[in-house]
Amino acid sequence: MTRPSDRTAGRLTRILAMLPWVIANPGATVAEVCERFGYRQEELIQDLRLVFMCGLPGYGPGDLIVAQVEGDRVVVEMADYFAQAPRLTPAEALALLSAGLALLGAGQASDALESAVAKLSRVLVPDGEELLAVDLDAEPELVAELRRAALEGRVVTIDYVSLGRNRETVRRVEPWLVFSSLGNWYLFGHDHLSGEERVFRVDRIRTLEISDERFEPPREVPEPQIRYVPSDDDVQCVIDLGPRARWVIDYYPVEILSEDGDAVRVRFSSTDPSVPAGLLLRLGADAVLVEGDEVAEALARLREEVLALYQDR
Amino acid sequence: MRKVIERVLNLLAFLLTVGRPVTADEIRQTVAGYGSSGDEAFRRMFERDKDLLRRLGIPLRMEATDAWSVEYGYVVPPEEYRMEDPGLTDEERAALWLAARVVRVGGGPVVSSAVLKLGGARLGDDVEPIAADLGADAETLGALFQAVTERRIVEFDYRGRRRRVHPHGLGHRRGHWYLVGTEGGAPRTYRIDRTSGVVVGDEADAFEPDPEVNLERALRPQPWEAGAEPPVKARVRFDPEVAWWAARRLDDVTFSPGQPLEVELEVSNPDAFIGWVLTFGPRARLLSPPELVHRLVERVRGVA
Repeated sequence: MTRPSDRTAGRLTRILAMLPWVIANPGATVAEVCERFGYRQEELIQDLRLVFMCGLPGYGPGDLIVAQVEGDRVVVEMADYFAQAPRLTPAEALALLSAGLALLGAGQASDALESAVAKLSRVLVPDGEELLAVDLDAEPELVAELRRAALEGRVVTIDYVSLGRNRETVRRVEPWLVFSSLGNWYLFGHDHLSGEERVFRVDRIRTLEISDERFEPPREVPEPQIRYVPSDDDVQCVIDLGPRARWVIDYYPVEILSEDGDAVRVRFSSTDPSVPAGLLLRLGADAVLVEGDEVAEALARLREEVLALYQDR
Repeated sequence: MRKVIERVLNLLAFLLTVGRPVTADEIRQTVAGYGSSGDEAFRRMFERDKDLLRRLGIPLRMEATDAWSVEYGYVVPPEEYRMEDPGLTDEERAALWLAARVVRVGGGPVVSSAVLKLGGARLGDDVEPIAADLGADAETLGALFQAVTERRIVEFDYRGRRRRVHPHGLGHRRGHWYLVGTEGGAPRTYRIDRTSGVVVGDEADAFEPDPEVNLERALRPQPWEAGAEPPVKARVRFDPEVAWWAARRLDDVTFSPGQPLEVELEVSNPDAFIGWVLTFGPRARLLSPPELVHRLVERVRGVA
């Protein structure tokens, strides 16, 4: 949500950024300034009129800033003190640098981005030290291919192992968007099998085929919903997570039932009991199954199977 | 809004040129836009304007107006107001703008204001069909980033205790942001979304960086590499039907479809490693070393 003060801050920032650029580039046209700073023409004129009323104490003709349009050119004079833009806030600096570093690390960067990140680091990070490391958990090959299919509007066929089912399905999907969130890459698009919009985890896609069949992407791609929505047919169980297993609530679609310090009791829903069973096996003593007979059976089975591998011990 | 912006531009112009600390009273008498207001109205207006300037990252500080520190006034040092020009080309600005639209760190306005301050950028409307959200609260991250670059001590709550940390670096790994630093002289790594009540110290250059702390090492890409135990080599075999999935997770591993995959990995966090092997259930078998196999079996036996 935008607060009124956000709008004020945004407008002021744009003015303090636009003035230096116009001062440094005399003769800049209205169209150039608008394009570069994202102004509509009437917005720019309004801001110039506003600046025209400002200046130094005395506020006479010799103290006020000259800011106006002459012909199709923007003219700013008498504003030496605004000849440089304000420095980036730490949050702004971090956002830009980490976005750049993330793409560099994912192997998707242009030469321009590489030199831009180098120049920015020189100014923002003292002594050229390595203070910031950003990694997307990239799946370079599949991500790049899926992105190409999305750009070209081609239907893809995927072999997909779903997180909730532990079962493999072959699906035809219209890829709309490839994105990364919480350390995983996702594909979002229209799934022919279910006839709905679906989110797929890229690391669960075993094979990918890009077809020649084209689709028309929606004009506005809706925000993808990563969270899994439990249905009535789901297997449910209740698990107590110790402090060391707390991370589960960040990764799985669980419902928190109660919390006691760092320990937390959750309800876990899935279409297949082997999913929570696998999780419990992995967590060992850090988690306890409180409720859920089907899951308990699946866990016992899984445990037998794993121990059978190490019988000689 | 128009009046507020006019007034703040006048205030900023005055503070940038006056060359000495000026009191609130002098500002009220001198700067256009404050003149006719009553005491209470002025106080509220002035508070709001200061807040606005600080939100933009403008260094507004208080300093003594005289050598005896009897009276304090406001300053905006021009050399701190502006940033050293990084000398970006238009192409580089456009590349940054695009990167920031694709990879978001907690929201939009932060990024667009940053690009504008650097001189704006031309960009078409074609949005890339790829996006990444690095999550986390941009303000907390920004504050920690400042602490790291300016070597300020930070304090925060973490796992039930208040910590006092020399921050050495920030990193994003496996979907989370981490702060790497030292606490009481010992190297530590903290997940930033689990910190609260972050306070950044007033003093810059408050500590010497510890040469033992290495950001890349502290944030090794695999969780089982980021441990405190001496590294051991572990061998694992994955069944053909999960080999592709395991290979995805590992660097520099090739596998042949339909064949099992056997790998040797360096492990310094055995718990994390055993957890990972167990996510494959009976389709992954830990072959060596015996101590690790023993720990795995104990863990599985312990599951009630």
